[in-house]
Amino acid sequence: MHRIARFCPARRHRQPLLDIRRHFIAQRGVSVLIRKLVFACLPALALAGCQDPASTNEGSSRSEIRIVGSSTVFPFAKKVSEEFVNFDPERRSPILESTGTGGGVELFCAGVGANTPDIVNASRRMKKSEFERCIANGVDGVIEIVIGFDGIALAQSKNGPKISLTVEEFYTALAAQPFGKGPNTAVRWPAINPALPDTRINIFGPPSTSGTRDALEEIIMEKGCKADPAVKALSDSNKDKFEEICHSVRTDQAYTDTGENDNLIVQKLSTNPDAVGIFSYSYLADNADTVRGVPIGGVEPSYATIESGEYPGARTLYIYVKKKHVDVIPGLREFVAEFLRGGENEGYLTRIGLIAAPDKVRTDMLGRIQSLTALDGAELK
Amino acid sequence: MPANPQTPATGRTKTDWMGEAMQKRIARRYAAERRFKWMGLGAVALSSLFLAFLLVVMVGNGAKGFISTEATLTVDLPAATGSISPEQLTQPRLAATMASIDVRRIFDNAVQAQYGEDGARFFASTAWTALRDQLTENPNLVMSKTKVWLPTSSDIDRAAKDNSTPEAEADYATLRKAGEVRQTFNWRFLTGSDGTDPAQVGIWGALKGSLITMVVTLFLAFPVGVLAAVYLEEYASKNWLTDLIEVSINNLAAVPSIIFGLLGLAVFLQFFSMPRSAAIVGGLTLALMTMPVIVIAARNAIKAVPPSIREAAMGVGASPVQVVFHHVLPLAIPGIMTGTIIGMARALGETAPLLMIGMRAFTTTPPDGLTDPATVLPVQIFLWSDEVNRGFVEKTSAAIIVLLVFLLTMNAIAVYLRNRFETRW
Repeated sequence: MHRIARFCPARRHRQPLLDIRRHFIAQRGVSVLIRKLVFACLPALALAGCQDPASTNEGSSRSEIRIVGSSTVFPFAKKVSEEFVNFDPERRSPILESTGTGGGVELFCAGVGANTPDIVNASRRMKKSEFERCIANGVDGVIEIVIGFDGIALAQSKNGPKISLTVEEFYTALAAQPFGKGPNTAVRWPAINPALPDTRINIFGPPSTSGTRDALEEIIMEKGCKADPAVKALSDSNKDKFEEICHSVRTDQAYTDTGENDNLIVQKLSTNPDAVGIFSYSYLADNADTVRGVPIGGVEPSYATIESGEYPGARTLYIYVKKKHVDVIPGLREFVAEFLRGGENEGYLTRIGLIAAPDKVRTDMLGRIQSLTALDGAELK
Repeated sequence: MPANPQTPATGRTKTDWMGEAMQKRIARRYAAERRFKWMGLGAVALSSLFLAFLLVVMVGNGAKGFISTEATLTVDLPAATGSISPEQLTQPRLAATMASIDVRRIFDNAVQAQYGEDGARFFASTAWTALRDQLTENPNLVMSKTKVWLPTSSDIDRAAKDNSTPEAEADYATLRKAGEVRQTFNWRFLTGSDGTDPAQVGIWGALKGSLITMVVTLFLAFPVGVLAAVYLEEYASKNWLTDLIEVSINNLAAVPSIIFGLLGLAVFLQFFSMPRSAAIVGGLTLALMTMPVIVIAARNAIKAVPPSIREAAMGVGASPVQVVFHHVLPLAIPGIMTGTIIGMARALGETAPLLMIGMRAFTTTPPDGLTDPATVLPVQIFLWSDEVNRGFVEKTSAAIIVLLVFLLTMNAIAVYLRNRFETRW
């Protein structure tokens, strides 16, 4: 049966048999449709199969800027890219992805070319090891731009009992081994200072991949830790030991890391009135109706105290631009200029929580992107 | 059962249907029947209740997202631009004329003149682009002093809809008293893209991204899935290899979607170095996920075609290919389409694998092609639900409504096609 059918291809069923006659007639329209469908799909398949790798491998050309990096800089970069397009609707919108500083730098330093990002946002300075990896992958020429400052703010729900801490108390509550004297056993705040409200120590903060966490360890915790003279002496004699004592955050239930998501911390604070959250100042400014800043050493986190450096949690925000991509990817210079324009005093970025860099710094940065002055790795840590 | 008379012929007790014990037993059976009926009805009622709750909440929250609040702004364009003559607005010179107008500055000045130093708080942060759009649409506005309606800030928008900060409420009351505010249908939401100001975001970018991604998925998964099913059912011989393939396909259909995301990341982005965040990569990844579902559905549909059809076709001299494409497939199409609908609906709602391949990027221009960076509706919903600004709450619900409408339209088309081709025998 099979063989006969194969060797004698019937052209068309002129005389269909009895009860399947209706079936044949009904199906002719459908079979034509299926044939069309198959023929329409095959080229599409072939295209999908062949075109993609080809079109991307040659691709040194890309018409939009790609940005990755810090979740702290993300809202600022979003605003800037919106303005960047509004300024000239012919421009293509930059593509932003919030990956965290560490993850962003890793993508950024993966190499040069259309498949790697042009800019990485960073809420801390690039590390020496990261810079070296960049160089090793052919990314020589990284332009460092300071876009402004941000404060790491401690905050709590407006409904909670008011807490006011000193750097030292905060360090003692958060460290894995306060001053290197064995594991942290404090469960309630009075264990650290009897004057504090009698509630459980419950701190929400960023994970270890976050730039906010690095800043937390390097700025606030280190300050608290150095209050002990013995530990301070260690910073010169035994650097590793010093970092272990000062930079390790406890891993028990007193500290909860909430992922690269500062919004989540804000939400958690409003449902846990006793908890303290650690996030960037811009989120505190945005949510002033539900959370309030926790003073450190009597200083409230605010625009003024961070700019003046009075509040201990201030840090610098950076963007890093790939020199080899400037003038290949259209609009990179203009984008950086727009970033600096938005970050001026009374600029639109300061309205959403960025703390402006002094005018002189901004002019320097503008010069840096115009003359394409690359970062010299020697000064990095 | 004491009073039961013995029937000598069979030697067993005759059932006393009227006896008390029997009546009790019967009552129990009826009760069980009723209980089951009520339980079933309860299950249906509970699920409809959840569905109704979801719809009411979504529509209740989301409907407001389709409404935007606008306030008036009187713009004295002739004074602001110097006099522009009518012939400067004719075609060859129009573009240059428009480019020479600094809309942003004019907007800022007009706002300060009408609402005072601090007037910017009344309008959305990018409201001036709305003014520019109106000018581009109707260049003749330049010739006269006009009153335009522009979107208000998100705070005032919320004050108009429910409650907001006390300052915004006061501002809204002032505007209202002066009759300078109105609520209109928010076209921008349907035509615009993502943004930072909830008063001015739109869903079109994500919708277009979803469309492109779905087209790629359909064009890849459908033919490959159907051809695989036809081969396995009609051509492949039954041996351990085809058994293995069958088991693998069934397993693939049950693999969690995030795994496909990782696969897409490793294969398409890292190995083939395709662009990150592109719709085509999303489509390919989702096609991998949808294919097994289509294969399984198509195989079942092909299996259900009676062998008599095949035999009759061969009897009149059709070749195997003709049998498949003229007779078996047309009859199996309704079943195949059902499977495809289920697979595509799942792909449309998928978020996790797309996050892995970078389709969560923020961009304010809708994608124009397969390799343009894009985001899709469910990811956009996820991103908006994460925003702190309260104005995004209603936009999230509105986006969910758009997603549901999209899904319903897609299914309706497929159901219509299926019914058209449905044949009974």
